[in-house]
Amino acid sequence: MVSKEVERLLLKVQKPGRYVGGELNEVIKDKKKVDVRFAFCFPDTYEVGMSHLGMKILYSLFNSYDHIWCERVFAPWTDMEELMRSHNIPLYALESGDPVSDFDFIGFTLQYELSFTNMLNMLKLSNVPIKARDRRELKNIVVAGGPCACNPEPISDFVDIFFIGEGEEVDLEVMEIFRECRAQGGDKDEFLRRCSKVEGVYVPALYEVGYNDDGTISSFKPKDGAPAVIHKRIMKDMDKSFYPDNFVVPLVEIVHDRAVQEIFRGCIRGCRFCQAGFIYRPVREKSPEVINSQCRALCRNTGYDEVSLSSLSSSDYSQIVPLLDKLTSWCGEERVSISLPSLRVDGFTDEIMNKIKTVRKSGLTFAPEAGSQRMRDVINKNVQFDELMNTCATAFAGGWSTVKLYFMIGLPTETEEDVVAIAQLGQAVVDTYYKTEGRPKGKAVRVTLSASSFVPKPFTPFQWEPQDTIPALHEKQQLIKDSIKSKKVYFSKITYNYHDADTSYLEAVFARGDRKLNKVMELACERGFHFDGWNDCFDLGKWLELFEECGIDPAFYANRRRSFDEILPWDHIDYGVSKSFLINECKRAYENKTTLNCRQKCSGCGAAKYGGGVCFEKRQDMV
Amino acid sequence: MKSVRIWFKKDFECRYISHLDLNRAMLRALHKSKLPIWHTEGFNPHPFATFPLPLSLGFRGINECMDVKLEDDNYSFEEIIRRLNACLPRGIQTFAVTEPKMKAGKVAFASFTIRISEPKTPSSKICDDLKTLFDLPSIEIEKKSKKGMKTVDIKQGVKSVQIKEMLDCALLELVLSAGSSDNLNPNLIISALERATGKEYDVDITRNDLYNSDMELFR
Repeated sequence: MVSKEVERLLLKVQKPGRYVGGELNEVIKDKKKVDVRFAFCFPDTYEVGMSHLGMKILYSLFNSYDHIWCERVFAPWTDMEELMRSHNIPLYALESGDPVSDFDFIGFTLQYELSFTNMLNMLKLSNVPIKARDRRELKNIVVAGGPCACNPEPISDFVDIFFIGEGEEVDLEVMEIFRECRAQGGDKDEFLRRCSKVEGVYVPALYEVGYNDDGTISSFKPKDGAPAVIHKRIMKDMDKSFYPDNFVVPLVEIVHDRAVQEIFRGCIRGCRFCQAGFIYRPVREKSPEVINSQCRALCRNTGYDEVSLSSLSSSDYSQIVPLLDKLTSWCGEERVSISLPSLRVDGFTDEIMNKIKTVRKSGLTFAPEAGSQRMRDVINKNVQFDELMNTCATAFAGGWSTVKLYFMIGLPTETEEDVVAIAQLGQAVVDTYYKTEGRPKGKAVRVTLSASSFVPKPFTPFQWEPQDTIPALHEKQQLIKDSIKSKKVYFSKITYNYHDADTSYLEAVFARGDRKLNKVMELACERGFHFDGWNDCFDLGKWLELFEECGIDPAFYANRRRSFDEILPWDHIDYGVSKSFLINECKRAYENKTTLNCRQKCSGCGAAKYGGGVCFEKRQDMV
Repeated sequence: MKSVRIWFKKDFECRYISHLDLNRAMLRALHKSKLPIWHTEGFNPHPFATFPLPLSLGFRGINECMDVKLEDDNYSFEEIIRRLNACLPRGIQTFAVTEPKMKAGKVAFASFTIRISEPKTPSSKICDDLKTLFDLPSIEIEKKSKKGMKTVDIKQGVKSVQIKEMLDCALLELVLSAGSSDNLNPNLIISALERATGKEYDVDITRNDLYNSDMELFR
């Protein structure tokens, strides 16, 4: 519901359908009859935010309680933002049209580092003070969760409460404490102190950080009885965990315009660059029966004719074939197609292929991540060259002729040879195509090689690693390009693209930043920085000016090798994976040694302490 | 197999979605409703729906229609309306189902009600400016075409005009050429007015009815 003032702007902006709400299944409540109002903010555009599964889960969960009304807020695109500013219209929530400053909670999900500026900009557009200490009252409590909350330090001045781990339980617990505090006439400080005792809650204001002369951290001290270590929360039993039977169905086209069915959390693999592979441990599956019935309800209630099975590395689902059998038993008749967006090279079997092919044939995407076998061993990708070729042959024989391969450059220990191997791998896939019997007749193969730059992330075995400098990354990008050109015969069949190294650099700074970066963020907000994840807005030059003004060297965060005994900015947060395990994994990487996955052999990462999931599954070798 | 014409309103939030988005929303509702809609038989079958005359983003439509084919004749028109409305957002609601009497291509005119206001200009002044505009022998505007900019006389497309002075706006009732060959978007008339007066107006456009070339209601 939008106000008259907003309506007057809508015909002047692109895609006004993003700013009006009114979608099918949107939740409208009587604000006089609810106790807690929660503004769920996604710090990016409507099309991006509405595609995010976590928001859908929490929106439905919160709204399943009569006393909570959760509404959605997205970042207005630059044209709308400009008009809102010039007409003095504050940021509003889509359901009620009420200003965000009316809400008890202003919650952000932090999916990528480059959305930090959007979070601050949204607070500013709401006329809510961006700094936590300037919000004195027991209202407008700013909370944040999501993967980037695993190192919350660069934005610790702005957020009152970080949720560490999965939010389904802890968010509700904090809202309960809020209700109690308000009923008892308590103040914000008391509320925060009480929340800090809840597992999974991190209140940054209750900690003091000391620094050494070289800029590294010397000490990290809790105050007011806050815990020294904050442990993440997880949902132990995914079958019993809340899952929406309904999504808000957007009126305008969004990035992932389909039903999404979660099938498990976590990943058994332990690829050493992948943060998600560690912070979501242990793997916890839903049963095929539960997935099937949730999936069917979701399709029926939304009207979507496509459902995608969501997880990391979906082919690792232990009962993938029985699951697909169950789903295909009704999907055909109800004209619903299934997509499996996250397939591993070694998980693409004939059987899976035939099941998803029954409905629609889209392009195939695999992520070998590295070109040479040595490099893939270093990152523990555990994909063999032959497996990749066999998989491609299977796909080609099955009628596919387009393959997209994702790689990373700038990985630890990477040499020129490893980089050139990316181009060679692309060539090998082309050769495989022409060797495959039963490939699509008369069609040329199209192979896309896509290279992104490695960003070292917290809670991975590479968290101590320096990122390659931008010039070094540029050289490697060029090297791949030149290596492909040398094979003129096939050139037309290989497309190569790479991600901008500038954005990866800033990501690396914020991913492993500390509290000193808060002042850079504040200045960025003052200067109107926003949409840094979008090429339209991002400008590294402007960021470098900010760093200089603040007297901060970004290379200290991005390009410095850290020692194993340095206190890392996120050391007080516990995701269940022990530091000694990560150190051990890092050392194995230097020795080109791989580590078996969780189903093959437990490597003692520490996540077994949660008492659930894959850590307690019967392994095949034990039967 | 039976062809039916489904009549609906497009208003509230849904006025701000494009024709493509409307099409998507309708297909999803048809899919969700489980009505036996005929699907295309291509590689990627989807329910088949056509719209005799798309509605521009921002317009309200109170008599919009969509044609579909039903594979099963046993559904009452009430049942179709009931099922579809349960699957549509509140801004798009169906209210009638008819058997098509005219082919979609027969649409030749459309009627519009347009409310025009400007905070600093009295309605009477806007009405006068409108009268001046429509009294001109021709209203020429620049239009983008495939061969670059060209000048067209939009007055050719105006079938009838009524101007009424209201308390808070000027009310403009128009019948304009419509359809695939000679379509006049009322926004072009607003642009001509804005160019003539140098002002920017708040405009609220509703499309009322469609007509054939004999000015019979499109049915």
